[in-house]
Amino acid sequence: MIEQICSIAEQILADKTVDVVIGYEAGTRGAVRPAFIRSAAEAGRLVWNDACTHNLANYVREKHVSPKKGAPPAKVGVILKACDARALNVLLRDNQAPRADLYLIGVACQGMRQNSGFAGRDLGDLELRCQDCAERVPAGCDVVVGEAPAAGVAPASAIARELDRLAALSPAERQAFWDAEFARCLRCYACRQACPACYCVECTAEQLEPSWIGVAIRTPEKRFFHTMRAYHLAGRCAGCDECARVCPVGVRLDLLNAWFRREIEGTYGYRAGQDATTPAPLASFVPSESLDL
Amino acid sequence: MNFITDAQLRGWLAQLIAESTVIAPRRAGEDLLLYQPVEDPDAICYDFGRSTVSPREFFLPATEALLTVERVRQATAGDGATAGNATVAGQWEVKLTEPHLQHDQVLFAVRPCDVHALTALDALMLKEPADAYYAERRARTTLIGLACEQMGSSCFCTSLGLSPDDGAGMDVMLYRADGGYILEILTDKGRVALASQAPVDFEGSRPQRAWPEAAYQVPPRAVWTDHFNDPYWASLAERCLSCKICSYICPTCRCFDVRDYTVAQAAGYQKIERLRCWDSCMAEGYRRIAGGHNPRAAKAQRLRNRFYCKFDYYPADFGPLACVGCGRCVDQCPVNVDITEVLQDVAAR
Repeated sequence: MIEQICSIAEQILADKTVDVVIGYEAGTRGAVRPAFIRSAAEAGRLVWNDACTHNLANYVREKHVSPKKGAPPAKVGVILKACDARALNVLLRDNQAPRADLYLIGVACQGMRQNSGFAGRDLGDLELRCQDCAERVPAGCDVVVGEAPAAGVAPASAIARELDRLAALSPAERQAFWDAEFARCLRCYACRQACPACYCVECTAEQLEPSWIGVAIRTPEKRFFHTMRAYHLAGRCAGCDECARVCPVGVRLDLLNAWFRREIEGTYGYRAGQDATTPAPLASFVPSESLDL
Repeated sequence: MNFITDAQLRGWLAQLIAESTVIAPRRAGEDLLLYQPVEDPDAICYDFGRSTVSPREFFLPATEALLTVERVRQATAGDGATAGNATVAGQWEVKLTEPHLQHDQVLFAVRPCDVHALTALDALMLKEPADAYYAERRARTTLIGLACEQMGSSCFCTSLGLSPDDGAGMDVMLYRADGGYILEILTDKGRVALASQAPVDFEGSRPQRAWPEAAYQVPPRAVWTDHFNDPYWASLAERCLSCKICSYICPTCRCFDVRDYTVAQAAGYQKIERLRCWDSCMAEGYRRIAGGHNPRAAKAQRLRNRFYCKFDYYPADFGPLACVGCGRCVDQCPVNVDITEVLQDVAAR
C-alpha cells in the first residue's frame, strides 16, 4: 500500500496537481507524525501503518490560507482515513476549503492502535473509535488506496457501551463523572487545536469582548469550556477522536462528543460528514420544520 | 546517612500529613501520574518514573488569586475593621485580602530534575523584587527528593549537566534500597521535618550508579542567534498544533496572565479577584497587544520562541537554562515535536 501512496504523491507533486502532500512520516523514538511533502523526490519519506492516527484534515484549512498577501492559496494533497474524510466533508460543507484545490488520497484503514503518534510508547489495542468503525474505506476521495476487508468488519460497541453506562447514572452521578474528568483538564486547548471542526478565528473561550469565560483554570471554567465546545461540535463532530488522543491528562472527550453524535443521529438521522453538502441540523433552518414547541 | 524502612516511611508520612499539606505522586489513570495532595500514605505511588505534569503548580499554581477586594455595605454602625475608622450604617467597608498558604507544604518523592527546575525558576522569581507569592511557597515547602533508579526513554538530564540522583536543592533525599530507603538530610528544614523520627544510622554510602553519558549537546548561544531566521522553524512548525501541552506540563515554563474579575454582585456586597493564571507563548493570543497587533502571529514564530526561551533568552537574562531534560514534552507532544531532535537539528545546521 505504501508503494501506491508514495507513487500517487510523487505523481501529483511532479505534475503540479498539488503544491504539497500532507501524509505521515517516521518521527523520533518510533513515533509516526504528520509530514508535509513538497517535491516528488521527497515522497519516499511517507509511511503507512497502524499508527497513522492523526486526522490530517486538520491541516488542510491552514494550508489553504494564503501565506503571503496576493499569493494564490496552495493546492493540497492529503491522505485521509474514513473518519478523516468525514471530517473533511464537514470542512467542505462549511466552506473552509474549496474542493477544487484539494486532491484527496483515501486509504482503506484496518484501524489505528492506541498510543499512536507519541514518542516512545508501545502501541496498544485498536483505538476505541476503530473498534467501533464500520466504514474503513473513505468516501468522496480522488483516489482510494487499498480495499475494504473482504470478510467485512463487525464493529464492536466499545464507545456505545460506555455511553450506556453513563446514561444509566443519575444526573448527579453523571455530573460527578464529568467534573472529575474536567478537574484534570489543564486548559491547554490541545483538544481544540487538534480538532478539524474547531476552526473559529476567535474561540468563544478566548473572546475578550464580551468575555464569556474567564482565564482561570478551575473546574467551573473548564466545565464551561468543554460543554460549550461539545455543543458547538454537535452535528459537526465526525468522530475522529483526536481530542481524546491528544489530551495529556486523558479527559474522555471522545465520550462527550459521542454522546452528542448519538443524540444528533437519533433525533435527525444525520451523521456529521456523511457527505459534503447536507447542512448541519443545528446550523440550518428548513421552512417546513415543525415548530410545535 | 540514615536508613528508613518502608513501614517507618509510611509512619513519617502519616505524621507529615497530620501537620501539613503533603503533595505526592498518585496514579490518576492508566499512564497518568500526578502530584496531588494526599491524605493517606497508602494512596501514594512509590514506584514510578516521572509524573505526567510537573509539580511546578505547587509553586506557581495554574490559578491563584493575587488579591481579593471586597466591599460590604454596613448594616449597622460600629467599629470599622479597616484603618481603625468607625463605620457608619450605609457606608461601604472595603476589605483587601492577600492570599497566604494555609499550611506548610511537603513535596514528597520529587525528582531531581523537577527540583533543578525550581532552582532555575528561582533565578527569575526570587530575583529582587522577588515574587512574594512564589517566595512564600518556596519558603514553606519541604522538598523530599527521590533519586531515580534509571533514566526514562526520553529523559536527557545528563545532557544538561544534571544527574538523576543529585540531591542538590532538596531538603531530604531518599535512595531506594532493600526494604526501605537510604536517607540523607541536607538542610535544617529537612532536619525539622524528620525531628520526630528515628531513622537508623546507615554505615556506608548511597548507591552509586553509572549514568549514561550526555546524548545531546546544547548549542551555544551564538549558534541560536545565527539561526533565528532559519527556514527550519517554519518547517518544524508545520505539524505543530499550537496547543499548550508542552508549556503546561513543563517544569520550567512559567508565563502567566493576570486579570481582574468581578465575582459576586449580591446586594450590599461586591467582590473583585485579581487572578494570575498560566499562559503560554504557544498560544496565538499570548503576544497580542493593545490595538490588535501580534508580533508572533505565526505558529512558527511561537514554536521557535519556545526553544529560544529555554536555550538562549533565559540563560542570557537569568543564568540557568530553562530546560532540565525531563523529557515530558517529548513524551506528550501529540505530533512528535521532540526537543532533543531540535537540539541536534540546530547543532547540525
